[in-house]
Order: sequence, then C-alpha cells, then structure tokens
Amino acid sequence: MTGLYKLEDPLAQTYDVIVVGSGATGGWAAKQMAEAGLKVALLEAGRAVSPKEFTEHMPAYKLKYRDHSPEIARTRPVQKQCYACMEYNYEWFVNDLENPYSTPQGKPFTWQRLRILGGRSLVWGRQSYRMSDSDFKAASRDGYGDDWPISYADVAPYYDIVEKYVGITGAAEGNEMLPDGQFLPPMKMSCGEILMRDRVKAKFGRTVTIGRAAVLTQNHNGRLGCHYCGPCERGCSTFSYFSSPFTTVKDAMASGNCTLITNAVVSHVDMDNATNKARGVTYVDRLNRQVKEVKGRSVILCAQALESTRILLNSSTQEYPNGLANSSGTLGHYLMDHVVGGGASGKLPDLKGKADANEPQRPNGIYIPRFRNTPTSGKSSRFIRGYGYQGGADMDFNFGAEGYGTQFKNAVKEGVYQISMGAFGESLARWDNYVEIDKELKDAWGVPALRISMTHGDNETALMEDAAAQAAEMLEATGAKDIKLQANVEMPGMAIHELGTARMGNDPKKSVLNSFNQTHDVKNLFVMDGASFVSSACQNPTLSMMAITVRACANLIDRFHKSDI
Amino acid sequence: MKRRELLKAGAFAGAVAALRPPIAQGQDGKVNAELTPAQSGVDASNDLVAPGWKPKFLDEHQNETLIVLSDLIIPATDTPGAKEALVNRYIDLVLAAEKPELQKSFLNSLSFIDGEAMRRYKTAFRYLTRQDQDDLLHGLAYPQTNSGWTGETASTDPGHTHFEFLKQRIAAAYYSSQIGEKELGWDGAFGHGPYKGCEHAEGSHK
Repeated sequence: MTGLYKLEDPLAQTYDVIVVGSGATGGWAAKQMAEAGLKVALLEAGRAVSPKEFTEHMPAYKLKYRDHSPEIARTRPVQKQCYACMEYNYEWFVNDLENPYSTPQGKPFTWQRLRILGGRSLVWGRQSYRMSDSDFKAASRDGYGDDWPISYADVAPYYDIVEKYVGITGAAEGNEMLPDGQFLPPMKMSCGEILMRDRVKAKFGRTVTIGRAAVLTQNHNGRLGCHYCGPCERGCSTFSYFSSPFTTVKDAMASGNCTLITNAVVSHVDMDNATNKARGVTYVDRLNRQVKEVKGRSVILCAQALESTRILLNSSTQEYPNGLANSSGTLGHYLMDHVVGGGASGKLPDLKGKADANEPQRPNGIYIPRFRNTPTSGKSSRFIRGYGYQGGADMDFNFGAEGYGTQFKNAVKEGVYQISMGAFGESLARWDNYVEIDKELKDAWGVPALRISMTHGDNETALMEDAAAQAAEMLEATGAKDIKLQANVEMPGMAIHELGTARMGNDPKKSVLNSFNQTHDVKNLFVMDGASFVSSACQNPTLSMMAITVRACANLIDRFHKSDI
Repeated sequence: MKRRELLKAGAFAGAVAALRPPIAQGQDGKVNAELTPAQSGVDASNDLVAPGWKPKFLDEHQNETLIVLSDLIIPATDTPGAKEALVNRYIDLVLAAEKPELQKSFLNSLSFIDGEAMRRYKTAFRYLTRQDQDDLLHGLAYPQTNSGWTGETASTDPGHTHFEFLKQRIAAAYYSSQIGEKELGWDGAFGHGPYKGCEHAEGSHK
C-alpha cells in the first residue's frame, strides 16, 4: 500500500466527502464518491494491509502453538470468541486491552472487530443474501415494530450493481423470502446435500439451496476464480473472495480523487454551529497520539454500526447535548444481532466414500431460506418472524472414532459422513437493547468507550427452539442417524451481525436517518452502515448494507450536482 | 470435523495472563509487533525437534508416562505414530502456557491412569508390560452402561472421561503435526480445486 499518500499535507485541504471506515460499506462510499469526481478523504483507524500478510497456505504445524497461542488469550479474550480469530491472523483483530467496552451485570455481549484497512471484510463469512419486502415491510404484516422507509423495489437496482461488481456465486430459486440476484455459477453440492435437498423438498416443500457467497467461481472483474484452499479468513492470494482493500478501496485510489489516511482513530464529528453543518472530523493518530482535524463539506460514517453511533454519541454539542443528530432520542437504541445457537447435526451412514485430505475445500455451505411466517406458510402461534439455516454435509475424517490404537488410527482415515445445520434468527428491534457512552471508560486513545446493553428475548428463544426441532425433523427425513440437537440462545454479538442504533425512518421524531442515510438533524452528515437498519431480517446483512450504501451515495452525488449539501 | 477445526476442538482455551508476548520476527530478522509470527513468515515446525529438549511443564515421570500413553493410543503402524510426532513435546508446550485449572485437569487425568495401574498392579503405568497396559486401557476406552439390555448410560464413568480427555489431546496434537498431516494423506498442496461435489447421475440419491 505504498504510494497512496499524496505529497501535500492531506489535512490542509477541505474535502468534498470524508468517509470514516474502510470496510464493506466505507470502501463502497469512497469508490462511488471518488469515481463521481468528488474529492474524498478515507479515514481508517488501523494500519494498511498487505497481501504479504496472508497465511491461507500455511499448514498448522508451522504455528508454534498450532492455534493455541497464549498471546491470543492475553490480548484478545473477547476477539478469540470469533471463529476467525486464530494464531495465524489475530493481529488483524483489535487488542481488547486497548479497545475496551462495558456491559451490565448479567448481560454479556461479545463485540468482535478489526481495525485495519478493510475491517471485517478481510475475515467475513461472505454469505450474501437479499432481503425481501417480507423484511422491509415486516411491521405492516405482523404489527411489530416499524417498517423501513424503503421497499425492495427501491434497493433492487443497487443489489444488482453490488452483486455484479462483487461477484456472488449462487443459484436462482424463485423463493418468496429470498429474492434472486445477479449470480456467478453456483458451487456444487455434495451427495449428502443433494439427498437433503430432494427429501426436504419432497416432505416439507422447503428450499435447500447452495450458499450464495461473495466468492468468485470464475475470473471476474480482474480477480481470479477461487482455488478452493479453504480458509478465506486468513487472506486470499488470488483475491477471490470480496474484501474492500483489493476492490472498492483500490478503485477509489485509482480514480485519483481519494486520499487514504490510515491510523486515524476518529473521536468525533466537528460541527459548525452557525450553519448547523458538519465541518469535518477530529481523530487521534493511532501511533503518536496527536490530535488532528480533517475538514470536509460532508461526512459519511461507515465505521461499523456501533462505532458510527459511538462517534455520534461522542460528538455532543450545546445544540445536541445527548449525541449529535439525536433530536429524536433514538440514537443508540434498537440494537440487534441475529440470534444463533439452534440447529442439529448427525451422520449419514448410508453414503459411502472415504475421507480425502486432498479434496478441494469449498468455502461455502448450503442455505435453507426462512419458511416460518411467510406469506404462504400461515402464522406460527409461538413467535413472529423466522430464521434461515446454514449448513453442510460431507465425508470427513472421523476424529471422534471410538477406542484407541491401530483400530482408532484406521477408523479416523475411514471417515464419517457428517451433516449439520445451524440457524440465524431475526433479532427483534427493541428500545431496551441499546448502547450509550460509559462515562468511566476510555480506549487507549482517550476516546470514551461504549456500554452495551442487550439481551435476546422470548421471541428469539422460541425461534431457536423451533429451529432445533425443525432441523432434527429435516435431518431425520434425510436419513441421518445419531442426531444431536442444539437449542441454545448464544450471547448477543455471537452472530457478528450488529445492526441498528441509528435507524432510518420517515418520522424525524422516531428515527436518526432518512431513507437516504442522511441524518434528519444535520444535512451534510450521513451514516451508511448496519446502524441504519430498522429490522434485522434473518439474512446475513453485509450485501444489504452495501446496496443501501450505494443507493445513498447515488443520492448524495445528485445533491452535490444540485449544490444541495 | 475438518482438519483445521480439530485445532479449535481441543478446547485448550486460556493461558497464563502474565506470560510475555512472543514478538513476531520475520525471516529478515526485522520485528513487527503488528503482525502475528505466522504473518511475518515464522516457521515453528522444527521448534520441538531441538536437541537437548526438556519439558517446560511436565516432570520427567509425567513426560515419560505421556510418551507411553500416546504411543499406545496412536501407535506406529506402517506409518509413524504419536511418539515419532513428538506429541508429548507439543502438549507440554501448550500446557506450560495454559491457565492453572487446565493444567490441573490434565495432570488429574494423567495421574488417574497411574492410580489405576498402582491399584491393579502395584506398578506405575509406564513400567507395566504392554499386555497389562493394554488390558488397563481397554477397561477405560468405552463408556460403561448400567444395563446391557437397554444400553442405559451410567451416571458417572470417571475412568472413561479421563481417558477421552487424554485421547482427544493426544489425537489433536498428532493430527496437527506434520506426521499427522501425512498420515491423513495430505499432499502438502493448498488448492485442489474446483470443488467437484456429487458426481452421481441426477436422481441417484433418493
């Protein structure tokens, strides 16, 4: 990432747009605005990242502790709860000692984050699903909560733009809950998955489809197709999965209109009280702790849902004593994270074969879209909304084989055909799930930290119980044996799908943002990330976050052209 | 379970908080505190082979007992076993960095095996004949039931629990070693794509 800095002082000029955060949505905002000819400053709290750091082709035996490094436990006790935080790559994740947050007694919340160019797009799960009007207009259908101020038709053209650029592998299904998109060829299913697909369709009429993922199944947009090595979260030497540094941010830089400022820990938005407009942001240099200001005609926060809200809460002024752009009082409220912990696993002894260490590793699984409380399914008596499953079936080494000695050694190699599915359930938007500033706690740069208060409720519990029972029924129908149920409600944060806290809406008294992610209170201030979500749906949210960002950017570019900013 | 998931499955969570952090050092000798050793290109695969190796955590008897036990659980056949894979050295390294409660539970399980050997044969496990070691382990290797007719699981079976705990750690150490990867048939290459999936004719799976 050399040569990205311009020679002149990047802080001397006034930018058209300041984008805070370089992850999935920040990369898009920088690309769209810069390619439209506007001068952009892209601020990232962490350092730049290089492909030289990728470790996806390093075998475990080269690691000193083979993924049990005491350094992870020492500096990343929260981050290590994330499956992707490993001895290979833990330095990409924040150091928990430098980045604290608090939770009330009895309300644990795990906040898994990266501060590095690209943010969590470096390690994300890549699953990419559209939302439908059953999600955008859910409140009208079941009476709970609020509708989004936008509908599927508003977002659909932007889903198209994002999917065509990113490259999403998947299969069209015509499912009422899961709109089809612009797909690259689908990945193949295993024998066990085809068995499940056909039997579940026959017995329950439900769809089992191959996962839709931001992984290239053919060369696309200057990037190579996947080589199926498996561990995407350690980086990809062929850039086959979507991450912002090597796609959107690269494009933004190539336009010549984007200045990247790394190691910029943004503390707050600076306001011009006379005009009620943002005039820039203040940041602390991560390395030398110097406080600096960047000036801009507009500010877009893409810092990650809770980080963007933290910045607004830390930007209070006399006019906005409870957080900037918070005349509604809703800033920080309606925090959501998909509920996980329900599902089932088993074995398919009828499928023969042998485990193969040289089998290509498919970085994707199968998906079962929501089938509860749909327009055609009728209403559940126990819960509203629903869940979708991710899962998979494959022949694998039988490390759980019984006994010991030569017999055990052989049994491991013989393998066992495993099948499993785990649900992601909708997390209802509730006022009493919220974040606020902890007045006693600051991070290593002196920026006041968040206090996060969230619990899953009775509806989420009922969703996971149902998801466990339905998974068992579908595995039974597939012919699985030795079925094990999982009907837990994992602690909030475990889905790593934090959403809400600066919701959009048509009523400025009940929401922070309008339908174009512009704050109701401050005309040139925007939040373009998961904070804007009104409801969580049950689909993995990143694709929708990117589409909503591109839509909001189109509107902002239009405002610049009309000098309406 | 995928090979890489096995690494996580050992549940060796936690470590001594006061331990000094290892500093990432690249092959060029430069130190970068913001990269993991792996990201800096450090290859630790020969660390355990060092001449004059001594255990950091286990005492000599515990170490020798672990060698004997691991050799029984994953013996050399036409391929090398746990002893050749230096499973004891890896387990000792991880134990040395673990929290006291995890260290204690490992030693409890190891001394349970020795305790059973003393109770039955008045001899420590490592000094038993191969036949006696085998007889002892067979009594622990399978879960007990209260009823042979219904297969009802016994309410407590500490022997089997201790055995499984040790076996899982030995297996995780073995299959994550270079010898273990070869045992599974891995050719050392990353990327054998594309994923082929089911190659049977449509409708073969009913």
